[in-house]
Amino acid sequence: MQELSATHFLLLSAALFITGMMGVLTRRNVLVIFMSVELMINAVNVAFVGFAWEQNSMVGQTFALFIIAVAAAESILGLGIIMALSRRMDTVDVADVTQLRD
Amino acid sequence: MSPEVLVFDILAVLAVISGIGVVVARNPVHSAVALVVTFVNLAGIFVMLRAEFLGVVQIIVYTGAILVLVLFVIMLVDPDDLPEFHAGRPLQRVFGLLIGLMLLGEVAAAVLTRTAVGQTGPWTADEVERAGGNVQVLGQFLYSGYVLPIQAIAVVLLVGTIGALVLARPDEAPSRQRQKVTSTISLGHPRGADGQFLEPLPLPSGATASTRVIKREDMRGGIVVTKDADAYTRQPAWQVEYGPESTRTPRQSDGSGTSGTGAAPREG
Repeated sequence: MQELSATHFLLLSAALFITGMMGVLTRRNVLVIFMSVELMINAVNVAFVGFAWEQNSMVGQTFALFIIAVAAAESILGLGIIMALSRRMDTVDVADVTQLRD
Repeated sequence: MSPEVLVFDILAVLAVISGIGVVVARNPVHSAVALVVTFVNLAGIFVMLRAEFLGVVQIIVYTGAILVLVLFVIMLVDPDDLPEFHAGRPLQRVFGLLIGLMLLGEVAAAVLTRTAVGQTGPWTADEVERAGGNVQVLGQFLYSGYVLPIQAIAVVLLVGTIGALVLARPDEAPSRQRQKVTSTISLGHPRGADGQFLEPLPLPSGATASTRVIKREDMRGGIVVTKDADAYTRQPAWQVEYGPESTRTPRQSDGSGTSGTGAAPREG
């Protein structure tokens, strides 16, 4: 791996994605879970842009742009939900939010 | 090792370390700051990958907008609501780490043994430079073949904004609207008679101007009874002394008294 190749970027993307996934699976604070989701979205973006770079294509960058736009909308809604949650239930712990289960 | 790989390694290692910092930090603010570091490093990697526009968008949208929102929400959430770090779940932590490492190994094996297939596109570095740059090429791409997705993204962002407004709205509507309804325009008010009554009408017995201050907690029930309806027609809505222009005190002759449509009268 002396030359820069898409393998580098794919490994970075995998590491970031799995870090974010660990955060989603093990943390209980919904804010940190939200940030971990953002991390996973960025890992996917790195993979898209890395493939686009390897293939000399623009489609990957276009997809990454759309992903960023959707992630912005998602973050607005997610933070709104977090605020409503903390205001109504006085908690941001996902283990305490069990209304559908009970 | 070429300098490109060296730069990539620095950026990637910093990104992964701060990504781990996002996950393990106890304080959510520290998580957010670590996330900023990750995003900035990823923006650098995008620039390395000849995606300059995406690098800029990454910084503007993620570190500029989303992370600021996250920090605002962290400030708005009561610190007592925050759960303890991994409280009482060591088993989940250990299993999560094991499964994560397993998955990383699998993905790494898949990545390292993969062979690039498919036709490469036309956009080499020289070709992009001839077309004017990354932004130009991306703009041509977006607005020729992806017009419908752009419109769809616009709708998605609009709906997201409206949804956030609905979600973040307080449970109880502010009582300002209802307060307007309860205010009274009195036809018997001496102001309506163009200053002919030079003396203020007397207040009914037992009523003072301050009794008509409507308290906020009284508004919750919907109907507010301040006094009987006749009192409004006989009585000035607030107590003002009427006299020649020169004898008025500055407080009573200023313009705010005449434009007062709110229910709160002047005291004294």
